[in-house]
Amino acid sequence: MTTALAAPDVVLATTIRRGAGINAYKCYQCKKCTAGCPVAGFAGLHPAQIVRAVQLGDLATIMADRFIWLCTGCQTCSTRCPQEIDVAGIMDELRMLAFEHDLVPKDAPFAGILKYNADSFKRWGRLYELELLARDKIMRPGSMTDDLMLGVKMVMKGKIGFVPSRGGDRAQMKRMVEAAERIEKQRRAGSAS
Amino acid sequence: MTALAYYPGCSLHSTATEMDESFKVTCEALGLELREIPGWECCGNTAAHSMNRLLAAALPANELVKVKDDMQLDAVAVPCAACFSRFTTAVHEVAEDERLAADVTEVVGRPYTGGVTVWNMVDVYHDGVGVEALKAKVAKPFGGLKVACYYGCLLTRPPKVTLAEDPEYPTHMDAVVEALGCAAVEWGYKTDCCGASLALCEQDVVVELTRKILENARDCGAEAVAAACPLCQVNLDTRQDDIAKTDPSWRRLPVLYVSQIVGRALGIDGARLGLKKHMVDVAAVMA
Repeated sequence: MTTALAAPDVVLATTIRRGAGINAYKCYQCKKCTAGCPVAGFAGLHPAQIVRAVQLGDLATIMADRFIWLCTGCQTCSTRCPQEIDVAGIMDELRMLAFEHDLVPKDAPFAGILKYNADSFKRWGRLYELELLARDKIMRPGSMTDDLMLGVKMVMKGKIGFVPSRGGDRAQMKRMVEAAERIEKQRRAGSAS
Repeated sequence: MTALAYYPGCSLHSTATEMDESFKVTCEALGLELREIPGWECCGNTAAHSMNRLLAAALPANELVKVKDDMQLDAVAVPCAACFSRFTTAVHEVAEDERLAADVTEVVGRPYTGGVTVWNMVDVYHDGVGVEALKAKVAKPFGGLKVACYYGCLLTRPPKVTLAEDPEYPTHMDAVVEALGCAAVEWGYKTDCCGASLALCEQDVVVELTRKILENARDCGAEAVAAACPLCQVNLDTRQDDIAKTDPSWRRLPVLYVSQIVGRALGIDGARLGLKKHMVDVAAVMA
């Protein structure tokens, strides 16, 4: 059974192939990706299962688990795959689908981190870490005391800046973000039809 | 003096100022002139490639266009391993995909035509300066300090992008520290992941990953760890208090940037190498 995305004839593996040119059907489940994955043990699914679910068009299974939000992009899977599948690139594409179709699960704080991170560098031209941390703490009040002492120590040692790094070309950043978002939107809309 | 464009990246202006300071001061001492890219912007990091492939390629390409067209240089030093990965990935993807290349040119507003070599921190010392030349400049050699060279993920992977010779067991950083009088230990976690930015929200995962790396370094005889990535250094250095909470017998292992080790061997004053920025004290191994 395949899970449809925008239209019944659009299956998951095809969507991913159109995004990054990665062909998930080449996977024969040797599980080398899983054997080398640093975070496979911390989620319900492991990389080979994610790739299998992509082949089966089972987006629901993938989105119900937090694996794609634990993937650090370490590239071990993509480096070792005997079929030369960019497995880490599949995780990127799945994150994009999750953001696009509002499928981010509740237990995936990393999704928020990615969003605040992108908002921050788009706004300032450079990443403003204190703003990112503050937004994350506000959105996850339960985490307020996590790493509190570490944060204090890092501020004391001058490792977290109070103000954004200046000097970046903010006008060029704004222009590039607008152009990239417009072109990617057109491309993704065009390739889904 | 050889001139090299310099892209510090966001981390070197915040959590890793000691990497920025020590890299700049060592390059100067080694006869490399670093010229910072004017108005450099964020490389996009993990957020860009998780959200918009085109933006992820265009942000580094924009910097490379500045290096080639505005600065008239053909090589850029990108010491942060995460930025280095975004730069080399952009170079690789644009070379492989004509449509992406056209889109990148539209986003950047000027044609990106390649032709700029991207060097990470280890490359600068190993290839830009050279092991023999480095050895000749050593003023204060380490007396056989046992160092575990930790490459992490992005200096070597994926090799088709980074062009690393031996991505599963790299040795260039080992050759650099050996040139300084250190003894590089053989160990098993050279290229295992530290958890990177999961440190911001999945602390348990990062504590477990860093514990395994540090434990193996210690078991293999290391007295210090050398890193060339701000995420790796911060995770390995800051998580040792958490590790000690569950393991009271934990003996802390200093985690240094390669540039700090190079600086100490060149005889540069510790105050200029940011040696007081560490959570685990480094004074004993850097004396």
